[in-house]
Amino acid sequence: MNFIISFVLGFIFSIGLSISGMVNPNKVIGFLDLLGDWDPDLIFVMGGAAGLNFITFRFVLKRPNPLIEQSFNLPSSTIVDSRLVIGSILFGIGWGIGGICPGPGIANLFTLKAEPIVFVAFMIIGMLSFKWFDKLIERENNE
Amino acid sequence: MMALAGFLVGFGTRLGSGCTSGHGVCGLPRFSKRSFIATGVFMGFGILTVAVLGSLG
Repeated sequence: MNFIISFVLGFIFSIGLSISGMVNPNKVIGFLDLLGDWDPDLIFVMGGAAGLNFITFRFVLKRPNPLIEQSFNLPSSTIVDSRLVIGSILFGIGWGIGGICPGPGIANLFTLKAEPIVFVAFMIIGMLSFKWFDKLIERENNE
Repeated sequence: MMALAGFLVGFGTRLGSGCTSGHGVCGLPRFSKRSFIATGVFMGFGILTVAVLGSLG
């Protein structure tokens, strides 16, 4: 049952990404082209989604647990460290180059075009590289 | 270029603990200090990157 609900939620998310144009790299780059030919449309995506949750989270997070899970799985850290900043910088640059972020990247796989496949393949490589890099740092700290 | 973009997005979102959905859609409504900073940084660098790539032609 949870599987079906998750599938439906993913489906709704995907429709939202598609309708809004978030899956279109040209649209995203147009939005990031603040200093050039600015296309402000995507501001309604972040604004709408985040804006909606400013209201809904007030009620949702007061509950003991989500509807289909035993507990909320919320990040608790409040430290603004170099990982957060450098990670965000790298993500921002990658986003600016490709015009795609993880969600749209995966959604675009179904177009069976070369670019999304290459993007996702290297996104996975990047994620695995981070795991390797993280272990390396840990080992160095322990020595 | 898509390969480089993909790699940076993959590595960056793991190092930074989130992306537009994680920090933007979920973190901001929780008034997360980390998310405000992360969102500001990646938006800024996204805009900067497009500007630089644009001027390079």
